[in-house]
Amino acid sequence: MPSSRFPIPQGTLDMLILQILSLEPAHGYGVAQRLEQISKSVVQVNQGSLYPALHRLELRGWLKADWKESETGREAKFYSLTRSGQKQLRVEKDSWARLTEAVQLIFDEGPAQ
Amino acid sequence: MNRILNWFRLRRLEGDLDRELQYHIDRRVTDLIDSGLPEPEARRLAALELGGATQIREEVRDIWLNRWLRDFVHDLRFSARSILRSPLFTATAVLSLALGIGATTAVFSVINTVLLRPLPYPDSDRLVQIWSTNPNSNRWGMWTAYPRFEDWHRQNTVFEEMATARTRVINMNGGDHPESLFGVITSSQLLQLLRVQPMLGRGFLPEEDQPGHDHVIILSYSLWQRRFGSDRAVIGRTVYLDQQNYTVIGVMPSDFRFPPELPASHRVDAWFPPAPDPSRSERGSNNYYTFARLKPGITLAQAQAEMDVINQRLAETYPEDRGMGVEVAGWRQQVGSEVRPALLILLGAISLVLLIACANVANLLLARGAVRQRETALRQALGAGHTRLIRQFMTETMLLAVFGGITGLLMAYGGLDLFIRLAPDIPRLNETTIDLHVLMFTAVLTLGTGMIFGIAPALQGSRDLQDSVKESGGRLTIGATRARARSVLVIAEMALALMLLAGAGLLVRSFVRVQQVDPGFNPKNLLTAFVILPPPKYPEPWHQAQFFHELTDRIASLPEVECAGAADSAPMLTNDTGPVSIEGHPVGPDEAEIQAERPKITPDYFRAMGIRFLRGRTFTWADNEGSLPVAIINESAARQYWPTEDAMGKRVKLEDGSAPVWREVIGIVGNVRQDSLAEAGRPEVYAPLLQVPVPYVALVVRTRVEPTALTAAVRHAVMEADRDQPLFQIQTMQQVVEDSVAGRRFQMSLLGAFAAIALGLAAIGIYGLMSYTVNQRTHEIGIRMALGAKREDVLNLVVRHGMMLAIAGVVLGTGGALLLTRFISSMLYGVGVNDPTTLLSVATLLVGVAALASYIPARRATRVDPMVALRYE
Repeated sequence: MPSSRFPIPQGTLDMLILQILSLEPAHGYGVAQRLEQISKSVVQVNQGSLYPALHRLELRGWLKADWKESETGREAKFYSLTRSGQKQLRVEKDSWARLTEAVQLIFDEGPAQ
Repeated sequence: MNRILNWFRLRRLEGDLDRELQYHIDRRVTDLIDSGLPEPEARRLAALELGGATQIREEVRDIWLNRWLRDFVHDLRFSARSILRSPLFTATAVLSLALGIGATTAVFSVINTVLLRPLPYPDSDRLVQIWSTNPNSNRWGMWTAYPRFEDWHRQNTVFEEMATARTRVINMNGGDHPESLFGVITSSQLLQLLRVQPMLGRGFLPEEDQPGHDHVIILSYSLWQRRFGSDRAVIGRTVYLDQQNYTVIGVMPSDFRFPPELPASHRVDAWFPPAPDPSRSERGSNNYYTFARLKPGITLAQAQAEMDVINQRLAETYPEDRGMGVEVAGWRQQVGSEVRPALLILLGAISLVLLIACANVANLLLARGAVRQRETALRQALGAGHTRLIRQFMTETMLLAVFGGITGLLMAYGGLDLFIRLAPDIPRLNETTIDLHVLMFTAVLTLGTGMIFGIAPALQGSRDLQDSVKESGGRLTIGATRARARSVLVIAEMALALMLLAGAGLLVRSFVRVQQVDPGFNPKNLLTAFVILPPPKYPEPWHQAQFFHELTDRIASLPEVECAGAADSAPMLTNDTGPVSIEGHPVGPDEAEIQAERPKITPDYFRAMGIRFLRGRTFTWADNEGSLPVAIINESAARQYWPTEDAMGKRVKLEDGSAPVWREVIGIVGNVRQDSLAEAGRPEVYAPLLQVPVPYVALVVRTRVEPTALTAAVRHAVMEADRDQPLFQIQTMQQVVEDSVAGRRFQMSLLGAFAAIALGLAAIGIYGLMSYTVNQRTHEIGIRMALGAKREDVLNLVVRHGMMLAIAGVVLGTGGALLLTRFISSMLYGVGVNDPTTLLSVATLLVGVAALASYIPARRATRVDPMVALRYE
């Protein structure tokens, strides 16, 4: 199963987390599930690196975390985007767009296979 | 501190993370089971997907630690910039703290050396002293007779080694400079017991305790340098001491000190075996000082128990040992025991100063916090969190404390020499250094100080934050709580300062009282020195007496000398305290014997000393061994021995081992302060030197000029009488008397200096607060003046406010002083611990200083222009 998916590019996990949380606050497991669903199992997220990423973003002030009751009734740590987190997401989306655009241009130039 | 905080936060953080991960796994397992997997398989898969929990935990922790470290460095840099931006504030705060921390460090380093540091011998914690006691006559800590020591030594099983010692002055002859050496007689076990090796040669051998082998000497390093030119071939050489040959067998290293309880300035020149001492066979002469090394694993109590048993046995065998007890005590604890109370009081006093310094810095920080309120509000608006701001604040506080601590340490390091030079002669003082213990003490002190002075401003700061959130136009309310906090601090400073002033005041008054004491003799123009005749050269008592007769005559005939006397017991120089008998007043078997001072004197002694002669006649040279035995007593003896009768013509006897004869009282003289100025005159019974010869005397020479000018002439006169005879410890009596109050003077100066610092700090504190209040109340004062208040009214308003604080402080401080001064009662003389005059004067002084400190800002307040003040809002 894992062999059919490719690993997530370095540095994009943060962006994806911000994106997912920009829709609604979620706990760690929720974020993992959303990543899985949205990417249709194309992208392989190592769940082990998810939590350090969440904490890193929290410390940068882009996420804030609260312990709240989850849908199963148990307390879970919910992350949500702060205002500076929203700003950061816009910046990252922007530069991602420019990067993919640039990469596409370079591909377009080259000889087709 | 940050680190400790982080550690706590880290624990909480890890708990949180564990809960978070557990939640993840539980949810995943449920989901997988729902999708049809069996539970064990689901659990295995969930764990596998997540990877190692430990690894995640470590990764997350690194992220946090990194962040904190960065924050800390940032805080540090920010704080450094911030406190450097206001150099005056920083200098005041750092200097206050440095004074407090530095002085406390210096006092502690002395305590550390004198009271806490182990004795300068290997494994010294097992070294003990063994005292003889006589519980019936309430005598403790007595020395021990040599035969008794030998019995202890032979019979005990608890000590690895036991040895004994006493001091002995011995004359070194040869060459043009005869010199009295300060020597210590000790049994041969000394060096093994202390586990110390000589630098050159060897220690004593057991047989050298015995007559015939005992003419050996171990030199001190300084004597070896001084008299032997540091010659390494000195071992085996013969030296001529008290007219006899001694062989040098060793030289001790320069840092060797024994006995350790000798005051720091005393040097020991040489060590001898005990054999030459004639008193060592007397079971009744308790003049050996005994010490031992406990066997490993033996406790003090076990040693005491065995010594009690041995002692019991000895008491049954020897009549002299009846009623005698024995006490085993840790040696190190004994060395500083006399100065312990004084040192602890100094530490207590300096701690109060440090507290005042803390209050002062807290005060400064509060004032600064008020000024920086805008900055704080701005930073908060820019997104700095509440805790982040408090942390920043604490970093700043700690940085100040650390600066203060380092400066204080440097001050202590620089000031320690001065401190030691001013201090009276106490044991081990010269060993004082700033060692690891002192450094640790200072570090803890610094951090503690930072916490103490940081608390109030930090709390205030956090209250400001809440207030600024409310933003209720609240300049007045914020100002009010801040002013209240600062008022409390100022009152506390005043109270602490008053306590110190009261203590210092009592010491000053005591010192003045002591200085005013009439010692009963005239110390001006009086030269003193000891002459100690070697027994081998002057074996006959009459020969000794004859020598002193000739010598005093010779000195008296010197130009510029008024008269000269000699005595074997003279005030503040030497003692011969012992039992006397009074005819017709026998002492009952259960009564304590009658003790008196028993000076043997030359006829001119009273005249030379300036002791008042009250009745009867003085001694003459005709009062010799062939004439009627006579005595002169002092007032105190007359009053105590014959309270209802006339003492003249009554008879007394000196119980001093010489042929006891009844002596007729032929005269009465005034009392002298024998041991110290603070001690009332004790009974004295004087006898003529020609009737009771002694081998050593203190010379007292009354001069018409500055006494030190005659040092050489007196020395020369002695050498004319006997070219091998040196003088020992030549001093002026004035110096002797001054030295006798050196401890008192030192305590007074030090406590006085502490009190002065405290007063200065408290003045700065109240000045700062009143300046601040005036600034805050500019508006109000403006309105008052606009409504017709006069300048005096404004002046009154402000000064009265200051006075209120000062008086509140004085009231609290007086309460504190009444509680604390009893701890210095032992240092006082002629003044009660609650002396109202002292309390009243220091209270007046404090209030006066506070008034002055409030007057300056008050003057400024009167210059407020009502229009400007009103427009200011």
